[in-house]
Amino acid sequence: MIKKFIHQFASPKTYLFQVDRAYSYIFYISLFIYLGSLFWGLFLTSEDFVQGNSYRIIYLHVPASFISQSLYLAMAFASAIFLIWKVKLSAYLVKSIAPIGAITTFIALISGSIWGIPTWGTWWAWDARIISTLILFIMYLGLISLHDSFTDYEKADKFLAILVIVGSVNIPIIKMSVEWWSTLHQTASITVTEKPAIDSSMLYPLFGSMIGFAGLVCCLVILSSKLQILTREKNKSWVKNYV
Amino acid sequence: MFNFAFDSIGEAFIMQSANGQSHGIYVWSVIFIVFLSLAVTFFVYKRKISSIGKKIK
Repeated sequence: MIKKFIHQFASPKTYLFQVDRAYSYIFYISLFIYLGSLFWGLFLTSEDFVQGNSYRIIYLHVPASFISQSLYLAMAFASAIFLIWKVKLSAYLVKSIAPIGAITTFIALISGSIWGIPTWGTWWAWDARIISTLILFIMYLGLISLHDSFTDYEKADKFLAILVIVGSVNIPIIKMSVEWWSTLHQTASITVTEKPAIDSSMLYPLFGSMIGFAGLVCCLVILSSKLQILTREKNKSWVKNYV
Repeated sequence: MFNFAFDSIGEAFIMQSANGQSHGIYVWSVIFIVFLSLAVTFFVYKRKISSIGKKIK
C-alpha cells in the first residue's frame, strides 16, 4: 500500500507540476522572511556583551550550517526510499540536493572563518567542528563527482544512495563534536531539551533567518531537481509537452 | 519596541563595538558572500533550465 502511494504521488511528472505551482509562493515568502529577519538581527538588536557586533554573523552562519546538515539528512532519507522502494524521483532528488548542500556548507565554512578572525583571533583552527564540516563539504563534492563519473545512471544512482547512507555517520559527529572534544567552537546555543542560551531579542530574528534561508534553499533544490528531471527524462513525451 | 542599534548609516557600516573594534568589515563581507553565492546559484540553475528547455523543444 505504501509502495503504491509513493509511486502514485512521487512520479517526476506529478512532482514537477506540483513544485512549479508552489515555487513562486515559497520564493517570495522566504525572501521576505529572510530579509526581514536579517534587518531585525543586523540593525534592531543590541550588540553582544562578549563578541560585540561581530556576533551579527550568527544570522548568516547558523542558518547555513543547520541547512547544510539538514540537506545531507534529506539526501540520506531519499537514498533509503530509493534503495527500498526504487522510487526514481528519490534518486533524482539525491543528485539534485548534493550541489546545493555543497554551496550551503561552503557558506557555513566561509562565514565561520570570517567570524573566527575577530572572535578567536584566527580564521582557521584544526578544531573538531570545523574539520567535520570540512569533511561534509568534501563529501558533497565527492558525491557529485562520483555520480558524474558514471555513464550508466542506474548504477550511479545506486552507488550514490549507498555512499550517502554510509556518509550520514558524519552528521551526528558534526553535531556532537563540540560535546565530545575540547573545541574552539562554542557549544550549541539552541537545543531541543534546554532553554536557549541566547536572549530572546536575538533568538527570534535567528529563527526567522533560519526559516527564510531554508525556504530559499528549498527553491534552489526545486530548480536543481527540475534540471535533473528535464535532463534525465528529456526523451519522454510529457517533457516535450511540458517545455 | 524596536530601537536602532546604530545612529547613522556610517555607524551601521563600521559597526564599532564597545571594545573599540570595528566589526563591519567582517559582517558585511559575510553578507556579500552569502547573497552573491545565492544569486549566482539561482542564476546558473535558471540559465541551465532555460538552455535544456530550448534543446528539448
